[in-house]
Amino acid sequence: MVSRAAAAIRTRPRREREAEVLVWPDLVFIEFISALIFSIALMVLSAMVNAPLLNRADPDTTPNPSKAPWYFLNLQELLLHMEPAWAGVIVPTIALVLLAAIPYWDRDTDGQGVWFGTKFAGRLTVFGFTAATLITSLLIIWDGSLHVVWTENVIRGLGLNSDFAWPGGLDWFRNLRGFDTGIPWDSLGFTIGGFTMFEDWRAIPLGIPGTTTDPWLLNLNFPSFLSQQIIPVATMVGLPVLFVLFCKMLGWIHTRRDIALLIFSAFIGVYLTTTIVGTAFRGQGQDLKPPWDIVVLEE
Amino acid sequence: MANLERAPRKSINDLIYDLIFKNYVWQSIFRTGYPNTPRNQMLAVATNVFLHLHPTRIHRTHVKITHTYCLGGLSFFMFLGLTVTGVLLMFYYVPSVERAYQDIQALEANVRFGQLLRNMHRWMAHAMIILVLLHMMRVFYTGAYKPPREFNWVVGVVLFILTLLLSFTGYLLPWDQLAFWAITVGTTMVGSAPVLGDESKFLLLGGFSVGPNALIRFYTLHVIGLPLVISIFMAVHFWRVRRDGGLARPL
Ligand code: HEM
Repeated sequence: MVSRAAAAIRTRPRREREAEVLVWPDLVFIEFISALIFSIALMVLSAMVNAPLLNRADPDTTPNPSKAPWYFLNLQELLLHMEPAWAGVIVPTIALVLLAAIPYWDRDTDGQGVWFGTKFAGRLTVFGFTAATLITSLLIIWDGSLHVVWTENVIRGLGLNSDFAWPGGLDWFRNLRGFDTGIPWDSLGFTIGGFTMFEDWRAIPLGIPGTTTDPWLLNLNFPSFLSQQIIPVATMVGLPVLFVLFCKMLGWIHTRRDIALLIFSAFIGVYLTTTIVGTAFRGQGQDLKPPWDIVVLEE
Repeated sequence: MANLERAPRKSINDLIYDLIFKNYVWQSIFRTGYPNTPRNQMLAVATNVFLHLHPTRIHRTHVKITHTYCLGGLSFFMFLGLTVTGVLLMFYYVPSVERAYQDIQALEANVRFGQLLRNMHRWMAHAMIILVLLHMMRVFYTGAYKPPREFNWVVGVVLFILTLLLSFTGYLLPWDQLAFWAITVGTTMVGSAPVLGDESKFLLLGGFSVGPNALIRFYTLHVIGLPLVISIFMAVHFWRVRRDGGLARPL
């Protein structure tokens, strides 16, 4: 068996002394210039734009909307679409663990040290990023019920039906919560072998009665569980899987590196989209708004 | 055959050169002469505590700007700049609920270049987060996480988390509405963890809501705790770049 250390040495490229340059001056010069450019640019920025300072902190006046720092607004955005435990803690933790695990999964040393080292790397990157950005935007629009508003406006605006309203039969498709509130759960009970499933979907007994006092274990609010946990999690797991299958079908995926490229690029797309939406498109009550319509009220 | 040429007379430039770089004091500081010969250039890097983070020679592809875009180096440069401006800010800032906000106002109004100092610290912090993210993307897309650099990638992920935490803990310090409610929202998210959520939130805030205890905790983490930890991880990160054979190159 080859030890890890030996394997690591074997994976080193051959040293090419003839292709080497001196760190002083070649590298030190570049470092110096880039540091200088950044210093000047930041100096100019700081001379022109002041860091914000609002009123003194006051626990009794809540700004609406209240927002976390911008680099956490992707998580705050997730919070609007699923159970807080998933959005605030579980999803980021899993994402970071998966991120850190990439090199332990994609161990092939081919294609390292050059940009986009596989044949279809460019396409996978562009596809992953673009598709993820689009789908994320569409999901956000859907959960913000903008499709409802737009459909109503278009049908009314065209004069087809001046008091058209989103049909009640499609209430379940208003947004994510529609799966909870727009479905007549009460009438969905059915009977198998003498057992009625379920008399009350909002309180499905899980534990054996009398063995536990934990109410969460005893009763499951299925409609809420479906819309706040099952669907979001299935989306977050299912879409990447679909992405991979789709690109496999196109013949773009040959190695694990290709899968990593696709998923990482999609991740960057989601990360950016949610950050931008959370930062610039969420107004009072975290409603979707264009940036120029957003005002912060103090309540 | 003997060399009949006489040594040329020293020009004025050479005299000045000798005066600066060949005197006793200069040579006590920098052991090498001015780095204008390959030997001196290598010695200049190898014998200087700051420069010796580098090897003396590197592969030609790695000094191309388009290979790294200097992103890792610039992240580090932001950290250095934040340390300098941060130390200066500490002269004027007291982390108490009574004084914090007032100190920032006074810094902006009464201290010469105080506003500029605060702006620099703020914008560098934002820049650092963006640079670290871009650096991670450059490392990913050049496939530089592959063996033998797996562990350095993990160190990098830790550095990313620490960078976010440094910025987050600093966010509370001005004690204005922006700071207070951002931290309230942020720590509420922590509190929603399925296990130990409330406990972690309590630990972070030193109470159930953002108040004096939270301010002193965030301050301490921001000015000493996290900088120490991130310095250690950065040292490991840079060390590993060298140990893993410099930057990644195709086999
Ligand atoms: C505070 C944050 C960080 C600092 C100051 C930093 C600094 C550096 C520097 C100066 C280099 C040398 C090459 C270059 O500039 O690209 C480097 C390389 C590297 N960094 Fe970072 N880094 C940070 C965060 C990260 C993150 C977030 C990751 C990945 C998740 C990462 C992974 C790596 C890897 C794998 C290398 C080796 C690259 C190669 O061999 O081409 N670093 N880092």
